[in-house]
Amino acid sequence: MSSPVVMPTIAAGSGRHRITFATSRTLAYLSVLELGKVWERTLRRGGVPLKYSQGFNPRPRMHFAAPLPVGCGCSADLLDLSLDEPRTSKALCDAIAGVMPQNLVVLDIAPVDIHARSLSELLQEAEYSVWLQQTGEAELAETVAAFLKKDEILMPKRGRKYRGRFYDLRPLVKSLTLEPATPLPWLGLRVRVMARPGATGRPDELLRALGLADRPRRSTRTRLILDGEGPPPEAVADGD
Amino acid sequence: MSIDTTHPTHRIGAIQGSGPVVWERIEALLHRVIKPGRYVGGEYNSVHKAWDATDLHICLAFPDLYDLGMSNFALMILYDVLNRQPDLLAHRTYLPAPDMIAAMREAGLPLYALESYQPVSTFDILAISTAYEQLYANSLELMDLAGIPIRSANRDVTTPLVIGGGHGTFNPEPIADFFDVFVIGEAEDAILELTGTFQTTRHTSRDEQLRALAQIPGLYVPRFYTPVYAVGGGISDLTVADPALPTTIEKRLMPALPATPVAQLVPNVSTVHNRAIIEIHRGCTRGCRFCQAGAVTRPIRERPVDEIVASAEAVVQQTGYEELALLSLSSADHTGIDTLIRQLIDQFEGRHVSISLPSLHIDSFSVELAEMLSGGRHSGFTFAPEAGSDAMRHRINKDISTEALLSVAEEVFARGWRTIKLYFMIGLPAETDEDMEAIIELSHQVRQIGNRIGGRKAEVHVSVSTFVPKPDTVFQWEPLVDEETVERRQRILKQGIRGRGLKLSWNAYSATKLETLLTRGDRRLGALVERAWQLGARFDAWDEWCNQDAWNQAIAELPSEELRAAFPSARALLDHQLYRRRQPDERLPWDHLQTGVEKRFLLQDYRRSLSGELLTDCREECHACGILHHYRDLQTEEWRCPVLS
Ligand code: SF4
Repeated sequence: MSSPVVMPTIAAGSGRHRITFATSRTLAYLSVLELGKVWERTLRRGGVPLKYSQGFNPRPRMHFAAPLPVGCGCSADLLDLSLDEPRTSKALCDAIAGVMPQNLVVLDIAPVDIHARSLSELLQEAEYSVWLQQTGEAELAETVAAFLKKDEILMPKRGRKYRGRFYDLRPLVKSLTLEPATPLPWLGLRVRVMARPGATGRPDELLRALGLADRPRRSTRTRLILDGEGPPPEAVADGD
Repeated sequence: MSIDTTHPTHRIGAIQGSGPVVWERIEALLHRVIKPGRYVGGEYNSVHKAWDATDLHICLAFPDLYDLGMSNFALMILYDVLNRQPDLLAHRTYLPAPDMIAAMREAGLPLYALESYQPVSTFDILAISTAYEQLYANSLELMDLAGIPIRSANRDVTTPLVIGGGHGTFNPEPIADFFDVFVIGEAEDAILELTGTFQTTRHTSRDEQLRALAQIPGLYVPRFYTPVYAVGGGISDLTVADPALPTTIEKRLMPALPATPVAQLVPNVSTVHNRAIIEIHRGCTRGCRFCQAGAVTRPIRERPVDEIVASAEAVVQQTGYEELALLSLSSADHTGIDTLIRQLIDQFEGRHVSISLPSLHIDSFSVELAEMLSGGRHSGFTFAPEAGSDAMRHRINKDISTEALLSVAEEVFARGWRTIKLYFMIGLPAETDEDMEAIIELSHQVRQIGNRIGGRKAEVHVSVSTFVPKPDTVFQWEPLVDEETVERRQRILKQGIRGRGLKLSWNAYSATKLETLLTRGDRRLGALVERAWQLGARFDAWDEWCNQDAWNQAIAELPSEELRAAFPSARALLDHQLYRRRQPDERLPWDHLQTGVEKRFLLQDYRRSLSGELLTDCREECHACGILHHYRDLQTEEWRCPVLS
């Protein structure tokens, strides 16, 4: 957690902050709008002076880096919020510490320059881990190898207006590896996908392509990679 | 009664254990279902007491989707009342949607409570909301999914005590075979008396326990009350199993409104009414002759303005909700409503919390209130004239003239609203096809006012439901209007209400018929409810899931000896239960359960209705409905009945 080092003046603090947070279990099953509501209500309970848009239907000025798919938790997602009155990150953190819902954890709050690019502009790639039940190790290794060998994997586009149209999933998957085995009867996949407007790989689409869409699973978005950050050293190249 | 052995009840029963369902077993189903967030709990303000550290475990159930159940304020109050007790633990469950029910049955997963994932069958008490008739078949499905035998007679101390409560209990006879106890009336105090007696009698047999519970005022234990049927099919008497038990059960009434639950549950997924609630008053004395809610919730008890304002602040702070609804049957009737709204607007200024006021009347004062709360947004304004002509409105005691209605409509459009929704009922007593013309004309008049003021954007949405003669209302002796008449009148309306700016919606007759059967029926219908459920009836409130064929087949089968003995045909059954006018001296199936509003008063007012006579709101002048006579000892300052010397 960032804490104020100097200048404990009244006007100290910033009007924009970036929260790094994690969700799991009960909070992994929300739509992006629902998770937004959870945050809005948490911040209202904490008395945080969120900035709202103008007009008849004011919305809080809160922006996620990217929507989480329903059924997917996260271990380091990002949320930017704008305030009506500046606050230090420490003050924000203290305000919400006692009013957090179950399974929502704040990992960091840091001030952001108000003119900085938005998270959705900065976002490049995302990394997921998906643990599957009722899946054989050999089966999984084979399916993954077959997937990686292909140059093109055409998937039907989602939504009614795209009916009958396809997109290529393969170039959206930057890497795909098996997680080391665990004592549990679960097998893990780690996948890094593109996450830019118009070019977003989704883990549930990957499972469909692998023929594993019917398997019980636990999915977590483990990392968001923003412009200017290199890919993590251990995740280079399997899929490229 | 034959038991359908292909039904998967047995499998569910076989896998019961006493510990909670492990999360991984629930998780393993969630990728297969729509909106899985309904099934995982974790709501802010949910109460997580230690299972082993509490003496009595009660599961509160709403037998329809989470999305509806989370908005049920009665259960929210009971959750609060029960969990305040250190030795009690109250958790919640809801009926999963059909996709999740199928997944759970396939996996052998029993219904569980959302706080602890404890199987519902391991609780001491299962309290099911019987708020309205469309929940009845679902209640059986809920018990079955929990692995609990659906008939009270097949349960013993090893299974939870199943109790019901809500407005449906003013005639619970069609579901009396499935519940051990009904709480008649307001349950906030009665539930604690019930849990107290349960704790002291838990080592006795279920029958002995029920005998003790039946001594508590307002608790109805149907197994001790047996209707006796007359040759013509009617009820001649009611035998009571034990002379120590009362022959009639009077509803429970809270002398003053219970404290507002402040730490209200905040759902994570979207729900129907996703907002904080404060009940500002209870009861209604306008005296609409068709309205059961008004009749069974008397007297009016008003929460003081200061208390509401203080609770509003606390509720918003503890929930973070962005909307606060002020709940009552007729909001504008609160004597301090004007001050209240002004204070709340001031208090939440700049905090992005909106206030909503459901159930407004058709008068300028209500328009002003709505304007204050609109924040410049004018979506739709709702009017419920219920009938098209002044004469019919007099018959149903809806005191608003067409002239007054049109001038309020003018005001609504002038203030910037573009849509007015009009609610009407058809099939009312003594109605003719001409009454349809009155509805059509009124709809057009409102539309024309809209066009004159708001131009081409003005819209009138007309919604037409069919009158159901409800128990405990002035119209309780009335028959249900027949299908042919309803369809003819709906056709007239469809022809008359069309064109630019007019929209019409109506209810399917099949749904009205089912509601009427279940709201007016007697105990013999239990076999029919069970059979319909076996045949697949559930989710009767949902167009996409309801199963009308199951109900029709169950009715056609006359699925018990008792039904076949009383009624030579399905037609005879329907004629008896739905389509005949009941006699004033006839014993009605619900006569032993009393609301405090006397039959004598209802009959007098029925006669007034026949001569088209209005009865004023009794806050102006007491009409001696019976409430004060029966509950005078409970009267407090919050009542709006006169203080008698
Ligand atoms: S007792 Fe009188 S004032 Fe009270 S509800 Fe009945 S009619 Fe109204």
